[in-house]
Amino acid sequence: METFINPKSLFHLLLLPCLLLYSSIAYNSSPVEAAMHTNNWAVLVCTSRFWFNYRHMANTLSLYRTVKRLGIPDERIILMLADDMACNTRNKYPAQVFNNENHRLNLYGDNVEVDYRGYEVTVENFLRVLTGRHETAVPRSKRLLSDEGSHILLYMTGHGGDEFLKFQDSEELQSHDLADAVKQMKEKHRFKELLIMVDTCQAATLFNQSPGVLAIGSSMKGENSYSHHLDSDVGVSVVDRFTYYTLAFFERLNIYDNASLSSLFSSYNPSLLMSTAYYRKDLYKRRLEEVPVTNFFGSVMETIHTDAAYKALSRRNSGRFEDEMSLDQSVHHIKRRMLIKVNDGDEIHDINPEGEEGASKCPWSTFRKKFQKAENVDSLLNYGLVAMIPLLVISTWLVQ
Amino acid sequence: MAETKEKSLSDEKPKPRVRPIVRLGIFLISHSFLVSVVCCTAGVLALFLLPVLAKNTYISENALMPGSASPMLSNQHVSDGNRLVKDLTNPNSKSSETGIESHKIIAQYMLDLGAEVSFHKFHPQMNQFHPLHFFSSPVSGKIQENYSCSSYGINTVGIIRAPRGDGKEAIVLVTPYNALKSGFGEALSLGIAYSVFSLLTQVTWLAKDIIWLVADSQYGEYAAVAAWLREYQTPKFSSLSTPNAEMCPDVNNLFELKGHSISGSKFSNSFRRAGTMAAALVLKVRDQNEQFEDTISIYAEASNGQMPNLDLINVVNYLAVHRQGLRVNVEKLWPLLNSSWLKSLGEIFESLAKVAKSLYPKWKFGIPATEYVEGTATLASSLYYQALGVPTGPHGAFRDYQVDAITLEISPKFSLDKVWRNDILLRGGRLIEGVIRSVNNLLEKFHQSFFLYLLTSPSKFVSVGVYMIAFALLIAPLPMVAASLYVDANSSSNCSKGDSSTPSAITDTDEHGIAIRSWRWLNSAKLVFIVHLWGAIVSLLPYFISQIPDCSPTTSFMIWVLLSILSLLTLNSVLASPLACAKATQEKEWALVKSVTISSVFIGLGLMSVINFATAEIGALLMVPMCLLARPLKLDVRAGTLRSFCRLICNLVLGHIAFPPAAFFLLKGMLDGFGNANVGDFWMWVESLWAWNSATYLFIDLTWRAHAVVAHQSCMMFWNLDVLVLSL
Repeated sequence: METFINPKSLFHLLLLPCLLLYSSIAYNSSPVEAAMHTNNWAVLVCTSRFWFNYRHMANTLSLYRTVKRLGIPDERIILMLADDMACNTRNKYPAQVFNNENHRLNLYGDNVEVDYRGYEVTVENFLRVLTGRHETAVPRSKRLLSDEGSHILLYMTGHGGDEFLKFQDSEELQSHDLADAVKQMKEKHRFKELLIMVDTCQAATLFNQSPGVLAIGSSMKGENSYSHHLDSDVGVSVVDRFTYYTLAFFERLNIYDNASLSSLFSSYNPSLLMSTAYYRKDLYKRRLEEVPVTNFFGSVMETIHTDAAYKALSRRNSGRFEDEMSLDQSVHHIKRRMLIKVNDGDEIHDINPEGEEGASKCPWSTFRKKFQKAENVDSLLNYGLVAMIPLLVISTWLVQ
Repeated sequence: MAETKEKSLSDEKPKPRVRPIVRLGIFLISHSFLVSVVCCTAGVLALFLLPVLAKNTYISENALMPGSASPMLSNQHVSDGNRLVKDLTNPNSKSSETGIESHKIIAQYMLDLGAEVSFHKFHPQMNQFHPLHFFSSPVSGKIQENYSCSSYGINTVGIIRAPRGDGKEAIVLVTPYNALKSGFGEALSLGIAYSVFSLLTQVTWLAKDIIWLVADSQYGEYAAVAAWLREYQTPKFSSLSTPNAEMCPDVNNLFELKGHSISGSKFSNSFRRAGTMAAALVLKVRDQNEQFEDTISIYAEASNGQMPNLDLINVVNYLAVHRQGLRVNVEKLWPLLNSSWLKSLGEIFESLAKVAKSLYPKWKFGIPATEYVEGTATLASSLYYQALGVPTGPHGAFRDYQVDAITLEISPKFSLDKVWRNDILLRGGRLIEGVIRSVNNLLEKFHQSFFLYLLTSPSKFVSVGVYMIAFALLIAPLPMVAASLYVDANSSSNCSKGDSSTPSAITDTDEHGIAIRSWRWLNSAKLVFIVHLWGAIVSLLPYFISQIPDCSPTTSFMIWVLLSILSLLTLNSVLASPLACAKATQEKEWALVKSVTISSVFIGLGLMSVINFATAEIGALLMVPMCLLARPLKLDVRAGTLRSFCRLICNLVLGHIAFPPAAFFLLKGMLDGFGNANVGDFWMWVESLWAWNSATYLFIDLTWRAHAVVAHQSCMMFWNLDVLVLSL
């Protein structure tokens, strides 16, 4: 009897960690968390009207152009412009908006879809867009139809102060309004990840947010955000410093680059900005080095290849496949390149070889590096499996 | 006096549990002498400190953004302007006796640019004294009966419509032009305006219409602008208007002729309007000058000391100094610049500031002595012109319609050189363009910056919050002294009752006596009222005197004086019987009379400070010491001490200085030398005041009355003195 009990208890002891492992995997893949990043949305808001706030509209339109260039389609961009600078009578260049005095780029080109314009840009409408509580008559194009797989970029610019942002020179969005809206969005599974970017004075005060939110503001409390330069031809300042340097960062990128958010955040130079860009990441789970900017500013998602279709292609080949895609310049939204492991499906694979989780999440900047990494993972997995065999043999022998 | 006050204080003291504010009041009242000395000194000192306390101007309205756009005025536009100047100065254009030719030229030039052009005919309205029109604007659509076709002026008006604007707002550019005897300066100002105008017809950024008014200044610059504004702001809807210039055949001929000769449809005989005016600029170029560099003078004072919004001055100042390199001037009282006492005062302030800075490095309020002197001279002129209430240029007409306007007078340094002319056209034009572009950016009326301010230099100002302190300090003693005198008068009669010197006091029961005593001030009030009534009559007299034809100012003034004395005597005989009755008790009553006078002066000054601060300030400077020191001469003479003698001298001197004509002559003498002073000048001055409906006139009237009351007090005592002497 006793000889029987011992091996059994040993077996149970061995089984326990396996069960624990399994349960943790099961927990991680609960329905909310397990949602994949499936789409990208952008809400771009210019909150101030009047001619002398030309730059705010230029800021927003520049961001609009950038996110469009990086792949977010127009139907997934909610553009809110509080005033119409392009058709302002004071505009020397009718129907054109520039964000640089060299006038090389007209931001107000043929294909700008403004969803909320003029006096439609109110705090109420803004909160309705975020929370999705619209009146029935509001068309789909004016709604933020995001789901639990959405990455949302929320960009706001205007005049603000300590814990508020002015709308239309008549009302304010306060930080707790924003926090509340984000919380509601969270509850309603309206996003997977949310990046809030604010270019205003004392922007940092606007963030006391709920989880899952990454926030970046142009200035700390007590600091002003300044305009970048004056276009003496148009007669107004055309862009704000924070946005200018953000755009400068993005102009170097194309849809296939995988610069990380941390490289964006570290690109802000306080002496150039004349304010300190503040980013809040404590509520955000992933490491910024691993998150490419295109996760928010573009629409670049991982494609999951089912084994059935691509049996011959192991993971190590997927990178090469992507490379060929990029050479072909075929930019289909469905066939996104596979750069980063984001979803939990990947995490399941990564948990078994302990200590590899962090490394596997890193965005591999070059194909070669990635290739080596992928090989390592596979070999480790193999070694692990081989190591399991003696264990199995010993345990069966003990039971008998 | 002091003893009685202390007595009153001791009377108050035993009262249990007085609220702190009441106790403070009682304390102040009981020490009113000290308080008044301290307050008055502080008030005068604060006035002299104002240049030190002046702040730098800043552009308060975000929308203005002056100088953010680079000027677009090019040499092409300048040569356009030069062409107009040449055509206007061409002797052929001056041949016509009515100067119609030059108006035609201007109109043709405007039409060539594609602007809408119309002529506005007006009859100059002589400003007249309307006793009841002081605070009403000079609109009042009154139509003069005696139009004659011989005297009319023609304003040429060109309007550029903003190409994408809504036409609801407009910016006005005014160039006074006398076609009959225009100097080169006027032609040059037209050239500048034209070059700007020609630029503005081409630009795409106009949000407001541009109106260029060439005001026919043969009947005065102000009259022409005011006439046009009157027409602009009060449209006539009925065609049944009384005869006006259109009835005159020759004028009609002119316009028909024009209509034929000018091919465009943009010319119209009817009055043309654009939107509400956002701002107006009056542009002048001075003919002769002795400046070393190109300067530009800003004139801002409108009627009754109203000022345009400070932002407008800031914009002009900023653009002139930082963009066009022009020196900006505001009016100064030149004689003050050389006064040595002001310089030494400035040095004292400077050294004080140094000491303060050495004590605590963060205190930086000192300014150099020379700057102080200049600031004071500018401040004094600012105060003077605001106090006078007479606009310093045609911009005053705009202020009556709540339009912010200033006059810019460019004084170029060289003369008649071609290169120089182009340079001044370019810089002047760019300045105007910059201001217009800045105002064009405006979304609302000027409202951000100050309306109540005094300038100490083009870039420094004293705001209402600061200068009111000086004024408040100055008039603060008045109510206290009044209260103290009133208390004194009551308590002294109490004492006299105790001494049983007056028989009436014995017979009265206590309550009855108190009741009578508490209403006794009404007697004094009646006296004061009568004197004010006389003052009112005196101030209305000029209206009737001015009806007398062919009167030289001197005779008018004499008539005025005579009539005033006559009316005083009449009033005295008709109404002054109570005065005579009061004579017996006058020795005790004087305190009450003084108290009532001071109260009325206090109220008057307080009200005036709301209407026109500068007037109130100057009035307070004259009247407060006079009111505080006033005391029956007899009492002082009787007392015979040195102190009372000093007081008597002060009384007499102040009493004479504060007499408005005397004050006027004294000031004029100080500024221009006594040789030039003439009795008639005062008449002219007063005439100008009522012609401009200046509230200052009312105020002088008030001063007059207060003075009269005080003088009355003193003089009564004189008469008593005479009676005494005679009886002896």
